[in-house]
Amino acid sequence: MIAGYFKRLGEDLRKDWQLYLLILPMLLWFMLFLYKPMEGLQIAFKDFSPFRGIAGSPWVGLENFRTLLGDQIFIRAFLNTITISGLGLIFAFPVPIVLAIMFNELQSELGRRFSQTIVYLPHFISVVIVAGIVINLLSPTTGVVNLILSSLGLERVYFLTQPEWFRTVFIGSNIWKEAGFESIVYLAAIAGISPTLYESARVDGASRWQMMWRITLPCILPTIIIMLIIRIGNLVEVGFEYIILLYQPATYRTADVVSTYVYRTGLQGTQYDLATAAGLFNAVIAFALVFAANRISRKVSTTSLW
Amino acid sequence: MRYIRDTLALLATCALLQSGPVYAQDASTKITDDPLELTIHFHFRDKYVYTEDWPVEKKAAEWTGIHVKNVASLATSSSRDAFNLLMASGNLPDIVGGDVTGGLKDDFIRYGMEGAFMPLDDLIEQNAPNLRKFFDEHPIVRQAISAPDGHIYFIPYVPEGEFSRAWFIRRDWLDKLGLKVPENVDELYTVLKAFREKDPNGNGKKDEVPYFAREPIEAVRLINMWDARVSGSERYGDFMIEDGNVVHPWTTPNYRTGISKVAQWFKEGLIDTEVFTRGARVREYMLGNNIGGMTHDWFASTSNYTDALKDSVPGIDFAPMLPPKTVSGKRFEDSRRATVQPAGWAISYSNQHPVETIKYFDFWFSEKGRILSNWGIEGETYDMVDGKPVYTQTVLHNSKPVNAQMWEIGAGVPRGYWAAYASEEQWTNKMALDGIAMYEKEPDLLQPEFTGVSMNSDERAVYDKYWPSLLTYMMEMQQTWVLGAQDVDASWDGYVARLDQLGYAKVTEVMQAAYDRQYGKN
Repeated sequence: MIAGYFKRLGEDLRKDWQLYLLILPMLLWFMLFLYKPMEGLQIAFKDFSPFRGIAGSPWVGLENFRTLLGDQIFIRAFLNTITISGLGLIFAFPVPIVLAIMFNELQSELGRRFSQTIVYLPHFISVVIVAGIVINLLSPTTGVVNLILSSLGLERVYFLTQPEWFRTVFIGSNIWKEAGFESIVYLAAIAGISPTLYESARVDGASRWQMMWRITLPCILPTIIIMLIIRIGNLVEVGFEYIILLYQPATYRTADVVSTYVYRTGLQGTQYDLATAAGLFNAVIAFALVFAANRISRKVSTTSLW
Repeated sequence: MRYIRDTLALLATCALLQSGPVYAQDASTKITDDPLELTIHFHFRDKYVYTEDWPVEKKAAEWTGIHVKNVASLATSSSRDAFNLLMASGNLPDIVGGDVTGGLKDDFIRYGMEGAFMPLDDLIEQNAPNLRKFFDEHPIVRQAISAPDGHIYFIPYVPEGEFSRAWFIRRDWLDKLGLKVPENVDELYTVLKAFREKDPNGNGKKDEVPYFAREPIEAVRLINMWDARVSGSERYGDFMIEDGNVVHPWTTPNYRTGISKVAQWFKEGLIDTEVFTRGARVREYMLGNNIGGMTHDWFASTSNYTDALKDSVPGIDFAPMLPPKTVSGKRFEDSRRATVQPAGWAISYSNQHPVETIKYFDFWFSEKGRILSNWGIEGETYDMVDGKPVYTQTVLHNSKPVNAQMWEIGAGVPRGYWAAYASEEQWTNKMALDGIAMYEKEPDLLQPEFTGVSMNSDERAVYDKYWPSLLTYMMEMQQTWVLGAQDVDASWDGYVARLDQLGYAKVTEVMQAAYDRQYGKN
């Protein structure tokens, strides 16, 4: 059985060696940068001191996890992470799909290119600058948004210090920044749809609206599902750079997420063991979520990651 | 591995114990006749490394015979990362030091007790007369840097001088509105209200910002007016000592009153609406646009604005004033210079020349070394006038600030040294000097400083477990109250209860134990 496997592998290698050569750098990268560092995960179960080293630090069992789960601020950060990602999934996930379909429906080639470039551009701006723009736009005294509000006779709002507004600001500006770029995947999927489908539909007298619903959307559905599963895997991960640039102690209630918690306690306080435990905790939950999403998707739509 | 390190450290200590006392010669600063090279890892303020290219260090090498060779890489822009990476590598050069975010004091002590650095007490006792004298004359410094095991593991950067920050106010606005410098809380309220209402900048718009602040620690500084303190040290949100007890200022009844009054003033527009998001360049913005009325900030740097802006903002007179009397009728200044900076250098366990190294450290605390580390090179950056070092005219009248010029030549860098206030005084402008003199004349203005505690590993474990979340929560509530999202009186009991849940009592208990051990129960 095993011998047979190796024999087949050997034949395969000989036959498609170019393909295997192409995949080699990626495999090496995975080994070196993703699998090798996994041994470092053990510090989540240790009282880690950089000077003593990983091997020299004593084991403490689940103590770090107990500390985390006993900390109300961590629990809150965890729930905030899920909420922000969850809302992001609901509001931000459909935007690139809609954009891609809209681009596809644009008749003028020039207009299409122009508008595509415009919506891609924000992706290439550093988050530091995006945060600067957002802070300025929303400033209670000089920000454009508040100038408009007050000229409409409405009350000025100090958005960045109000916990109720944080998610809106965060997710909204993220959509502006990333939606255009994310639509590329769907545009590619749309480009892959066979034109014969549209031709026969047109012969049958289908409207553009009908073609969109009956042809375009169903054809890119597998792509959408795969993107959704990947997105669910990242549900417990909210990048910390952008949050750190936007949040204030006043908005911690809704803005503090696991990664910012890790940043404050783990890196600023040099508690690497605790930070690793938080990361590991996150990773396990993420894995469970992806696993579940994949299961459901395989059952419901027959499309799945594995 | 651990044992090898310990044994090495022990052997090294034994070796120097046997070598017996060596007396420093006054005349000569030579430590060794054969030039000795010591390696050093010293990354500081996120962008500099120690170097023998500095003229000051060259002079030191010439005088002592000790040459230090830097092994820290400039490739990283975080001194904290550089230090942590070095510790993780386990391969330490002869001297380790730096000035990093969050301070290195706790690291020196923690890793010192783990065996990474040598205890310096015996070395100092036998080989370092200047350091010994310094510590005898400044027992508070020795206490502040002592480890829980009673040893000293590093030589710190010791600042000098008492006052750091002051209240500044637009005196020209006061004159214009016919008001005098506020002497107490009520007068301060009247003044700030007038700044807000009566258009002191005369542009017809109500754009004045009565109180503004540059740093988080200053945003709520006005709670001083109700006898509450912002911090026990120069660090934001630090503990303080009250009658020998370790207390966090943000849990006291005075804080409750203070923060609710500050919230009230904030609501009335007396404090910058954007005080929490304005950022570090607020002084330029507020003063340059002629809209800021008052702040609490550093004497020297803030005093420069009146000079710098006299053309663009005619008549500007942004000058220090005494702290107004609080509700209880006393005057106090909440901030002060730190007694010890959490920066400096230590001798690593693997150093083969601990005696020479401690003598090299000692050199910087000698008269010669102290002048060199503060004023730079004689004849180039300073001259001796009446037996005292004085900066040359070229240095004083350069367009670059004097401290920046000094850093370039290796003076005033955060090695283990004793800063001389006299050097800073020579380039502080008159307004600041007058202000400092005014503050100095007032009796008992300064508050006791919390110089930190050294916790043993059990205490540290408790502190690490609870403190970060406590601070997070306290900061959160502070802003929530000031911004008016919650009423202080309605939510105070809940706040106290939550602090208790988050482990406040446990944290103060371990800190108290450490404090009593370190500073003695009184």
